[in-house]
Amino acid sequence: MTIAFYVASAVALFATLMVVTRRNPVHAVLYLMVSLLAVAVVFFTLGAHFAAALEVIIYAGAIIVLFVFMIMLLNIGPPPSTRQESLLLTPGIWVGPSALSVLLAGLFLYVILAGGRSVQAGSYVDAKTVGISMFEIYFLGVELASMILLAGLVGAYHLGKRDLPDEAEGGNG
Amino acid sequence: MTEAQFVALSPLILVGLAALVVMLAASFKRSNGLALGLTLAGFAASLVSLAWAAKVAPVQVTPLILIDRLALFYLGLVFLTGAAVALLGHGYFEKRAGYRDEFYMLLLMATLGAGVLVATTHFAALFIGLELLTISLYALVGYTRTEPRSLEAGLKYLVLATVSTSFLLFGVALLYAELGTMEFGKMVDLIRQGGHRETLVNGAIALVGIGIGFKLALVPLHMWTPDVYEGAPAPVTAFVATVSKGAMTAVLLRLYLLVGGAIPDSVMTLLSVIAILSMFVGNLLALLQDNVKRILAYSSIAHLGYLLVAFIAGGNFAPEAVTYYLIAYMATSLGTFGMVSVISGREREAEELRDYAGLFWRRPFEAGVFAAMLMSLAGIPLTAGFIGKFYLLAAGVDMGAWVLLGSVVINSALGLFYYLRIVASMYAAETSAKPGAAAREVALLGSATLAALALCLIWLGVFPAGLITLIRSAVLGV
Repeated sequence: MTIAFYVASAVALFATLMVVTRRNPVHAVLYLMVSLLAVAVVFFTLGAHFAAALEVIIYAGAIIVLFVFMIMLLNIGPPPSTRQESLLLTPGIWVGPSALSVLLAGLFLYVILAGGRSVQAGSYVDAKTVGISMFEIYFLGVELASMILLAGLVGAYHLGKRDLPDEAEGGNG
Repeated sequence: MTEAQFVALSPLILVGLAALVVMLAASFKRSNGLALGLTLAGFAASLVSLAWAAKVAPVQVTPLILIDRLALFYLGLVFLTGAAVALLGHGYFEKRAGYRDEFYMLLLMATLGAGVLVATTHFAALFIGLELLTISLYALVGYTRTEPRSLEAGLKYLVLATVSTSFLLFGVALLYAELGTMEFGKMVDLIRQGGHRETLVNGAIALVGIGIGFKLALVPLHMWTPDVYEGAPAPVTAFVATVSKGAMTAVLLRLYLLVGGAIPDSVMTLLSVIAILSMFVGNLLALLQDNVKRILAYSSIAHLGYLLVAFIAGGNFAPEAVTYYLIAYMATSLGTFGMVSVISGREREAEELRDYAGLFWRRPFEAGVFAAMLMSLAGIPLTAGFIGKFYLLAAGVDMGAWVLLGSVVINSALGLFYYLRIVASMYAAETSAKPGAAAREVALLGSATLAALALCLIWLGVFPAGLITLIRSAVLGV
């Protein structure tokens, strides 16, 4: 278990470093996904199985897919030719993230086979415990977090919407 | 949730509700006036409910929030400031293109975040409140999105505030790992008992301190202030300078009261160095500026240095001195940045010193109010700023903190120079051939707000006793 924790942490650090140093956004997103998966394994080794599952489903599953869609829809630069698209399939691009993901999958299997529920530190936290603390003790935190999301949404809408006619003229509305 | 808890929480709930009402109203009819009216109604309802909540206080609402007299007092301060910023924003954004309703929504949500900060007794709620405040501010700072400088300031604030918040979060995580709790009170008790790893806890407290120091813009974490203050729309600058800093000060005050003033000497020395540096760096750099918003930004760094002196040298007086100084600072900052927003024209803000040349001859009323605000910042007698400084010096003399007091005195003299520079240019004969950026039309609501603020400052400077009694009952009742 200890070794799994350290290896997963190292993978997370390395992948995050790769995220911030890649010049192509798609490559960065691939590494970001690996980084999130590695964090999920770290959670798992620490006994937070539910958090690990959420990390995979919500972050790696949903949010990163949204990132990829965004990059696709934003359509930065000239439309990619077939040649550019085939460049995306060269091994240099996908080997790194894939190798790291395989490593993580191996770690995950090892952790499960080496005694599923045994925990590195702290105690085992299941979904029920998480639910109780979220909606009983910390429900105000959950409510306030929804306000944070709303603030982010309103802000993103305001900054991201198309120019209004009077705005483009620099007029006085 | 029991009824008492619900009543105690009602000021916060009402502000959150107001944000939703403004949003719903905007989806039917977009109108600057309607949004302002709803926002003000929300703030008014919250302020009224404070009296209601005061009857049941103190109430602990879950481990996250404690509504006691200190929290209620600071909530009142934050809501009043938020309402004043809304009034200033009405006139400012009326002159500019684009939708205005989002400004009020974000303003209400940022105020809610600040409200959570002043009432929290738990690091989880501290973090959530801080994020709510900061995320709303990202969008507010970059609100005039057709202006590159505003967007640049928004981006700078986004990156730097995120970094500082991660410091805070890491510190909290380390504290939790070592102590096993995130409640302020329990944490203080555990640290006092000992039996933990000193180095780890001290390091964690330093990380939390970085997060708090960034929000207060204390040297050496002040770098963002001038750029963000300069780029943000003037009403938003007023909000950043007052509500955001005031809420953080309330958190510090709560921690200070919990620790009971028993702070180790090494920490005191560190804080003294930070306070002295903040005063000198703020004032000396303000001398070099020609942009009024930047001058005021540096002056706010210096003022937070003075505030820190009240913490360090205040002794038993500290909570009172800090609160009084903070109120004087908030009212004057609101007034000065409000003045920049009221006299700004359509094309650009009146932020260069030359925009103020001869202002008195064109707009005597605004110039007079602005001069009164600047006098209060400088700490001239008959203004609230003077009583604030007097409190500070009296408390410091009591404790015999001569080095700090010496710095305060030297810096007050330095500050006087650049405040008077603005005043002198306002009363100088108009020399420039082309008119400055100052607008011809007057924002009535904004001017009325500023006049009320100026009256308030002078009232507090002449008759401070009423407020002092109120502050005493708020901070000593804890």
